[in-house]
Amino acid sequence: MMNKILRILFVLAVLLSTTVSVSADSPYTTWALGPGGHPVMTQDAYTPVAEIDLPIEGAEDMFIAPDGSMYIADTGNAQIVKLINFHVVATYGEGILKGPTGVFVDAEGSLYIADGKSDTIVILDRDGNLVRQFGRPTEPLFGVNNEFLPRKIAVDVRQNLYIVSEGSVNGIVQMNTNGNFIGYFGANPASMSLKMILQRMFLTKAQLEKMIRNQAASPSNIDIDNQSLVYTITGGTDRYKSISKFTVSGLNIFPGTYGSTSFRDIHVSDDGLVLAVDADGLVFEYDSNGMLLFVFGSGDKSSQRLGTLSSPSAIARHNEFVYILDKDKNAIVVYQTTAFAQEVHAGVRLYMQGYYSEARPYFEEVLNFNGSYILSYQAIADAYFKAGDYDRALASYRYAEDQSGYSQAYWELRNLVLQRSLAPAILWLLGLWVAGSIFTRLEKRHKWFDPARQWLHGLSRFKLLDDLAFLFRFIKQPVDSFYYIKKSYRGSLLFAGLIYAWVVVVRLLSLYLTGFVFNPYASLSRIRPENEIVNVLLLILLWNAANYLVSTISDGEGRVRDVVIGSAYSLFPYVLFALPIALVSNVLTLNEAFLYSFSLNIIYFWMGLMLVIMVKEIHNYSFSETIRNILLTVFTMGLFLLTGYILYVLFNQMFDFLSAVLQEAGLRG
Amino acid sequence: MAKLRRIFQGLIVGLLVWGLNTAPLAASAGQPAAPQEGTGGVQETRGIPDSYELLGENDLFQLYADPNTLGFKVLDKRSGYTWHSSLDEVTPEDRLNKTWTAFAVSGISVEYLDAKAVSKRVSITNSTTSIDFQTLDQGFSAAVEFTEYGISVTVIVQLEPNGVSVQVPFEAIVQASPEYKLGKLYVYPFFAATLEDQVPGYMFLPDGSGSLVRFAETTKAKNMFYGRYYGQDLGMIVALPYDDMTRRAYTISLPVFGMVHGEMQNAFLSIVEKGAAYGELQAHPAGITTRFNFLYSAFVYNESYFQATNRAGAGVTTLQPNTNAFDVLIHYRFLTGEQADYVGMAKSYQQYLVGRGDLAKVADPESDIGIKLEFLAGDKQKVLFWQRFIPMTTIAQVSSILEDLAVGNPEVVYYGWQPLGASSMPPSRLKIERTLGSMSQLRALIDEVKAGGGNFYLYLDPQAAIRDEQGYSPRNDLAMSITNFNLVGYHRNKVNYYLNYETLSQRYASLHDDVAAELQAGLALDQIGSMLYSDFKSNHVLNREEAIHQYQELLRGNAGGTAFYLPNDYMFAQMQAYYDMPLGNSGYIYTTEAVPFLQIVLAGYVPYYGPALNFSSNLQDDLLKHVDYGVYPSYFLTNEVTAKILETRSNWIYSSSIGQWSQEVEQTYQWLNSLLGPVKGQEITARQVLAEGVFATTYGNGKLIIVNYTNKPFSHHGVVVNGRDAVISEVLP
Repeated sequence: MMNKILRILFVLAVLLSTTVSVSADSPYTTWALGPGGHPVMTQDAYTPVAEIDLPIEGAEDMFIAPDGSMYIADTGNAQIVKLINFHVVATYGEGILKGPTGVFVDAEGSLYIADGKSDTIVILDRDGNLVRQFGRPTEPLFGVNNEFLPRKIAVDVRQNLYIVSEGSVNGIVQMNTNGNFIGYFGANPASMSLKMILQRMFLTKAQLEKMIRNQAASPSNIDIDNQSLVYTITGGTDRYKSISKFTVSGLNIFPGTYGSTSFRDIHVSDDGLVLAVDADGLVFEYDSNGMLLFVFGSGDKSSQRLGTLSSPSAIARHNEFVYILDKDKNAIVVYQTTAFAQEVHAGVRLYMQGYYSEARPYFEEVLNFNGSYILSYQAIADAYFKAGDYDRALASYRYAEDQSGYSQAYWELRNLVLQRSLAPAILWLLGLWVAGSIFTRLEKRHKWFDPARQWLHGLSRFKLLDDLAFLFRFIKQPVDSFYYIKKSYRGSLLFAGLIYAWVVVVRLLSLYLTGFVFNPYASLSRIRPENEIVNVLLLILLWNAANYLVSTISDGEGRVRDVVIGSAYSLFPYVLFALPIALVSNVLTLNEAFLYSFSLNIIYFWMGLMLVIMVKEIHNYSFSETIRNILLTVFTMGLFLLTGYILYVLFNQMFDFLSAVLQEAGLRG
Repeated sequence: MAKLRRIFQGLIVGLLVWGLNTAPLAASAGQPAAPQEGTGGVQETRGIPDSYELLGENDLFQLYADPNTLGFKVLDKRSGYTWHSSLDEVTPEDRLNKTWTAFAVSGISVEYLDAKAVSKRVSITNSTTSIDFQTLDQGFSAAVEFTEYGISVTVIVQLEPNGVSVQVPFEAIVQASPEYKLGKLYVYPFFAATLEDQVPGYMFLPDGSGSLVRFAETTKAKNMFYGRYYGQDLGMIVALPYDDMTRRAYTISLPVFGMVHGEMQNAFLSIVEKGAAYGELQAHPAGITTRFNFLYSAFVYNESYFQATNRAGAGVTTLQPNTNAFDVLIHYRFLTGEQADYVGMAKSYQQYLVGRGDLAKVADPESDIGIKLEFLAGDKQKVLFWQRFIPMTTIAQVSSILEDLAVGNPEVVYYGWQPLGASSMPPSRLKIERTLGSMSQLRALIDEVKAGGGNFYLYLDPQAAIRDEQGYSPRNDLAMSITNFNLVGYHRNKVNYYLNYETLSQRYASLHDDVAAELQAGLALDQIGSMLYSDFKSNHVLNREEAIHQYQELLRGNAGGTAFYLPNDYMFAQMQAYYDMPLGNSGYIYTTEAVPFLQIVLAGYVPYYGPALNFSSNLQDDLLKHVDYGVYPSYFLTNEVTAKILETRSNWIYSSSIGQWSQEVEQTYQWLNSLLGPVKGQEITARQVLAEGVFATTYGNGKLIIVNYTNKPFSHHGVVVNGRDAVISEVLP
């Protein structure tokens, strides 16, 4: 005992000397959200200050009271330890506790303890006297088969207990201080993947039983903020759904943000900053709206460097320090907020409370530090938007890659333009229309354009131009037009090739020209043109090959030439209209999203229809034959892809084998 | 509750003990030599046993040696203190098992590898050996044969003016048995070993700027500190593990270590002059494995490696075909009195380097400090199918930025000057990206910079062959690992392979000649100063020790000056400036404090610049560290806004625009110049801890710089230092 305390004191002396000058580089890098949701490296947000060994064993939880005193659930020694300045000043629950895994201390100093070994909840007063101890609720509402395995606990101001029960699929167990069951709270939704659906379809009941039952993952840790909003973390789920924030009514209002699949603990500070630590020693910090501020940290892969973690079990923030309890090291690792992170926090606090313009100077300072810190652009854009400076808001939203914000700002700007120039524009249009109709009438009488018309007509001598003119025939008379192709009256392979090339070009151009609000690529540099080209060409190739092959064995009349030309002409809606729609999307906002998506859908539907007609006419099928042919074609395309993949794998294996033989031969002489 | 009471009792006693201890604690934390009469200092308790013969003597030392264990003892005649190379006897309290006992009492131990690549360590005293012991002038030579394994090693120990040298010549190493190979050689592993905290003092490790591990009863370490001098050999391991969440620990750039037995009383410094490329520093603080503090160099002659035979990862572990050929030469230099601390060690190392001609005073303007400004010229971005160069700072812009900035003696580095910018291969003949400006513009800029007292360098990473880039032949130009792979490295957000020496030297020589002839500018060399790899490609095998000599040879004739990023000691002779100077260490939890060892070695000889301050998260803290360690500032700048390079590989530079940083650059420079200007070109002669978080550094011209890291003002002999501030004054009484 003596030794241990001496050691603590020694460590404390070391700590005191190190808190003033951090001389080691942090062993981890720090990342923030950059453009497109990609992480970008940034200055350190927290630097490690000290690792303080404590006389504890496998401690599972830590609670820091507002006055800075620490309560540690010393699981291995079956007690709660209270520390002030890392001195043990008191221990609680000896003889009562078996293995405390969760601890919470309320404003009066009462301790609420989840004992994971005896599976009970223990309430102690501030002097350590037992107030109450209870186990599984007796209420039938709790569920007959449900076990009560309390591991973590949080208490709100009205003294409701929120208990994390291991494996509880119904969510958090809510009880009162008398041990009465109030209800379940904030269950995670059960997820159902395609794989699971397929398993249900094809597996026998016995096989299904053997697999893990499809249940909602149970939350693994909990914290509560000063507005009684409950935060939980769930391990082993989608990393975008690992944190939940529940309103009093049990509604999750935390957005799907990048997190970890192995979170261990979560902490919410009074000013709404959320910290979570995962099993690999990574620390995630969010604002209360779920915006990721920083990710940093590193596991201790026997590097033994200050600031690495081997098995973190709890995290808490007090003032400018972050404390992480490590149950493997039996130590607390202390981190200090850097000047940079303090700037970010100052801005975020104001921003979360809606003081956008007050937050702006902080974020502008943050951008000085790091020009890729996307949250800054977002906050600054919001500030500009609120101040009515839409031009600048637009630019900042663009940097932040916030499509909806951009759309709103754009709507405002467009509105201004419309208000100013709608009336004159309408007058102009009206004037033009009147002039135009007068001109048309006069022209009909005087036939001014006849020489031009004749010249145009003469152009149809050129085959390609004739083919082009033929394209427009499809709008009105698709059936006849396909017949012409089949009879070789019109159309050519050369022009079909040109159409396909144009399809590729249109695909690429429309990606680059679609307005920011509707573009699937928020940043144009992320477009991979070679992939787009290969995909489109592959699709065209597969369709033509598969359709021809399928048709030849099912009495189709079309030749290769007919299929290739017919398919090309079927694509005309895309060829003609995709580009204009892309251009128009530049002046639309999300309010008119329907217009955009509807017109795109029309194009695709039209193309589908043309293909159906094409197959029917070219191969001279009945309707049912046509449908069967198309389904078979699609199936064949799938088979082609599968075959290609299998061949790829086989050749890969063969290459591996040969290179292994050669290597081994070389090695063994 | 009883337990609680016990804790309280313990606490009170503990507080008392602590209170009593604080004074000596503070003293040992670096207080100047206040002679501690009462404690009497570290005294020699062990006599020299009869088995030891006096074999050499000079003005300062006597050398004794034992022909059976090859242990030696050095008596420092100035202080009467004796240094022991190994333990004389092991008592049960020492709690060493048989193997460890043999290791501790033998002068040398070897680790052999059998045909299955299984290794085992044997020492002189726990193995059948025959020793051919011969006395030499001022020392002895001993050929040790480990008869069971057919391995012979010859050790030569001789007295020198400053201490003792230990040599292991390669030509005298015999591996007679086909079954056993010499794996590692341990040279005097228990030299100056101490038991727990019996002797006050510390170990010095060359980690980062320098680290101390104070002797204590126990340690927080769970395993020992093992580190290869100059880092791992990529030729053996192909690539370093890559994790962008972690920041790599520093590699050991100086092949030195030391120990203090009683601060300001006795200390030694060990310098590996030859063989460091295959040397490993192994430090054991008391409390892991044994109760002793000891550290030493081990040398690697043969290693096993894993040869994968297919892509799934199956394979065999085999031995390297040829033994690493290198001589070992270690100097132990002994320090006493005033010099017996890490400052004394640094000075001793400095003298050693100067004596060998590896460190010389760089001619530099006397008055103002320098500031390193690294400009990103530009980088390329892919647009549709083409690469587009994005200019970030053209030559004309560099010139106008320098004109506007109120800084003196700028150290200008131009990064990404080559066609298509930073992430394309630099050409082997000088050719700059057209968009940046003309060659005559560049010449004019260089003249301007020189006229302003500064230096101009083109950035070059001569070893790197950037992956997926044109400009080198993957078949002919790359170095190969022992497993027949290209070596892979990660630097400045790029993945690169490493060139073999032939290609490297040709490319470098031709580019260097062009730069020297056409621009009269220098080169700022990245990686080559710190990255040392062997090459196993069959037609040009090169081992690490040879590579050092080749690099030195290649760079010897450099005209126009050369700057290095984090160089190893073998580049010091060619170095005009040191970049990215560490401001701390790697933060191993068992090290007690970080010290400016490296800075003290270089101070007064070569100017050193810190890492770019753009990326600092606590600017004031880092600036204080600059003042404390005498480090000159450094910034990474561009003329354009940083957002322009977001989609290029240079996006690791997340903040650089001159518009954002110009004010900061000027303020930093002025503040640092007011403090460090008066001591420019001066050596550091002493360093003290005045109080917790307050450090004083004395310079050769009698100036004293006091840095206060705490938030409270500090007053020292009438000089007041505000919280988180620094002052310069004349040296105090």
